[in-house]
Amino acid sequence: MKILGISAHFHDSAAALVVDGVPVASVQQERLSRIKNDPGFPLEAIEWCLDQASLQPEDLDAVVFYEKPMLKFERILTMALRAFPRSWRSFPHAMRNTLGEKLWVKGIIKSHLGVPGDRILFTEHHQAHAAAAFLTQPAKTAAILTADGKATIDLLRELRFPHSLGMLYSTFTAFLGFQVNEGEYKVMGLASYGQPRFVEQVRQVIRPVQGKPGAFTLDLDYFDFHTTARRSFSDELVRLFGPPRAPHERLDPSTPDGARYADIAASVQRVLEDTLVELTRALHQETGLAVLCFGGGVALNGVANARILRESGFEQLYVPSAPGDAGCALGAALYADRIHFGNRHVQLPDHPYWGPRVDPDELARIAREDGLPLETVDDDSAALDRTVRALADGQIVGWMDGAAELGPRALGNRSILAAPHSVQMKDRLNREIKYREEFRPFAPAVPIEDADTYFELPSGGARLGALMSGVFPVRPQWRDRLAAVTHVDGTARVQTVQRDMAPRLYELLRRYGGKTGIPVLLNTSFNLAGEPIVTRAVEGYSTFRRCGIDVLVAGRHFVTKPGAAATARVERSDETFARVADESQDEAAAC
Amino acid sequence: MTRGTDAALPRGTSLALIGKGGVDRLLAPVHRWVWADGHRRAQKLLGFATTEADSGRDMARAAECTSDPLLRRLYLRHSQDESKHARLFTARGNAILAALGAGHAGSRFQADWLSPGERGLDDLEVAGQGDAALLAFLFLSERAGARRFVVYGRVLGADPETRDVFAQVLRDEAFHTNYSYAQLRRVSPTRHGWHLAWAWLGRWWKAYLRLASAIGGVMGAVLLTVQYFVLLPVFALLAKRSSTREPPGWVESRKAGVGLLRSQY
Repeated sequence: MKILGISAHFHDSAAALVVDGVPVASVQQERLSRIKNDPGFPLEAIEWCLDQASLQPEDLDAVVFYEKPMLKFERILTMALRAFPRSWRSFPHAMRNTLGEKLWVKGIIKSHLGVPGDRILFTEHHQAHAAAAFLTQPAKTAAILTADGKATIDLLRELRFPHSLGMLYSTFTAFLGFQVNEGEYKVMGLASYGQPRFVEQVRQVIRPVQGKPGAFTLDLDYFDFHTTARRSFSDELVRLFGPPRAPHERLDPSTPDGARYADIAASVQRVLEDTLVELTRALHQETGLAVLCFGGGVALNGVANARILRESGFEQLYVPSAPGDAGCALGAALYADRIHFGNRHVQLPDHPYWGPRVDPDELARIAREDGLPLETVDDDSAALDRTVRALADGQIVGWMDGAAELGPRALGNRSILAAPHSVQMKDRLNREIKYREEFRPFAPAVPIEDADTYFELPSGGARLGALMSGVFPVRPQWRDRLAAVTHVDGTARVQTVQRDMAPRLYELLRRYGGKTGIPVLLNTSFNLAGEPIVTRAVEGYSTFRRCGIDVLVAGRHFVTKPGAAATARVERSDETFARVADESQDEAAAC
Repeated sequence: MTRGTDAALPRGTSLALIGKGGVDRLLAPVHRWVWADGHRRAQKLLGFATTEADSGRDMARAAECTSDPLLRRLYLRHSQDESKHARLFTARGNAILAALGAGHAGSRFQADWLSPGERGLDDLEVAGQGDAALLAFLFLSERAGARRFVVYGRVLGADPETRDVFAQVLRDEAFHTNYSYAQLRRVSPTRHGWHLAWAWLGRWWKAYLRLASAIGGVMGAVLLTVQYFVLLPVFALLAKRSSTREPPGWVESRKAGVGLLRSQY
């Protein structure tokens, strides 16, 4: 049975193809369109997925959309009605936003793919989240928690929009001057610099429901998302916390304003964690199960995940590589396969690498065309040794290997790798490559067998770290030698690398450990600020040329950027360009 | 051979291809007024920073899409220039805001319609363009941006730091204008004029679409607002009454079942 899953029209659209119960391909639209968080209908992603199985749309047994458009419209309309007449400013915007293509998904799918209407299915949003979290992991039974509801694969009960932890966190993300659905990582990173002195104020915004463990309501007086499209928080929230940060305002936690922002971030992070812990503890007591599957965008909060694992009572916590909406494409397809069509459950391969494969020869061709130093080694072992030498010499490596990861994290196939030992490396990465805020940490990758040596992992932590979903303390005796990946609070978002899941990265870490004594590497996503993670070799090359990466690796090919030689080449090129331009000007003037 | 020069330009920068920008020169008094307010000046610079950063990403995408090695190198340099401009504009905008102090509210009126900077690149679909079409578009948009920045340089006499930023940016804009024209002639020696004309029409078409969608948006908002106040009050009353009957906290979810996935509701 061939089932295509689609998520689209909110943020980070994606497609996934499941054949006979097993994913064949899944990719976010942004990785192909190169538009960060591309929300558009994922036509390129769909075409790529179908190409992987040599299918035409008419071969599909079903196309599954990740939410029910009419149900969503009803909720938006109901929210506007309940806020009447204060919602008069947001109503036109909400209607224009929804009455366009978002409401006519079935027609759009039919027109793009030409499949009959009776093959188009719709899951509920959280069914797709729940399926993505549960059906992609190895446990046979588990409790499932999604961002704002909890369920078995048949949802038991839920907290209805807008009473959502995601909405709470996103509102504070906007308050702190970051982009919603993008800057939540920054709030989490900033929180480590602050003290949670605003916890009581945050608890005025989100209130527990007495007698219903884990349930809460948002006090809508502090929000404006239901009354205006201009901003998500109200003047009441500004009265409670002081002036919001302007998006371009420099954020320095050592200044009074910066410290206030950090304290607010710490407070909302604390409340989020407390709420999740209470919720999951109640869920554990109710179900008595050992494994919790956690989906939804909030599951990207690694600090909260670590607390859930430590304090909820669950022995294992599983967060998929794409817990946000992009992963819902895969979740919707799996849900339809198992629940709607009633097919027998098939254990899925335990890895996140469902995207396009890199073509190393493409890199070699481009490097030759541009006259950059290209080195091709004999075999894979030599490639790993060459990479280890570069890393041990303090060089920053752009690393492209195999199929791209599904989800927002680079898990070793589209990564920038570097030695994790000095704080100077972190500064260099922030300054020359990522061009991002200094308060944001970098993650370490370590072979799973060695993880406990360097990091304080709770029981189940190693598994949570396999997809970089938990933040754990770095052991104090190693913090100085892992300074580039140790956050200000002594923690790190560890990737515990398993040989079966990521064999080449695992071997690279082993060999790096053999050379330096510490099998840990800094692993950050291979992209520049505001851009999606690279997919093809040419995108890695473009990124390499525009930032301070020293060595670019794809397969057995190495492209280097020796400082002096590279500069000389650029200067020569500029002279050439200038000559061409002058000639053109002369011609233009003559005309 | 004629080389234009201008006091707002860095020494040695050629205006031969940039030209004089008659409309913007006529609007110089308006631009002077727009840029006179410090807060507005800062916000405009920060807006430019966003546009330049977007343009940098577009040019990187152009470099990834072209099969012409020379164009790839030029586009990559262009991309780096745009990213550098974004950093320059951001730094200057933030410096002005810092000098004004946090409490300075300033004028909220931004007059963005008067000064779109290099707008046009931001809604460019790079992947769907051929090299010649893209170069023609680049030439026109870079030239328009450069002309406007010349005028900004002139009206910013009282703010030499911001004027210096524009001078630095303008040096790169002149290079972008020149290379895009030269490369257009190289990749399309016989039809470059046709490509320029087509790109020129395309810019006007996009301007029309922007205007039309803006007008349509206003009309739609007015109609929906009227409907909101005429049709919705009764339903709003019902919705509010039903909300009082809903208990706070957990509600039971709908059960999954065969056939339910066929419904959009």
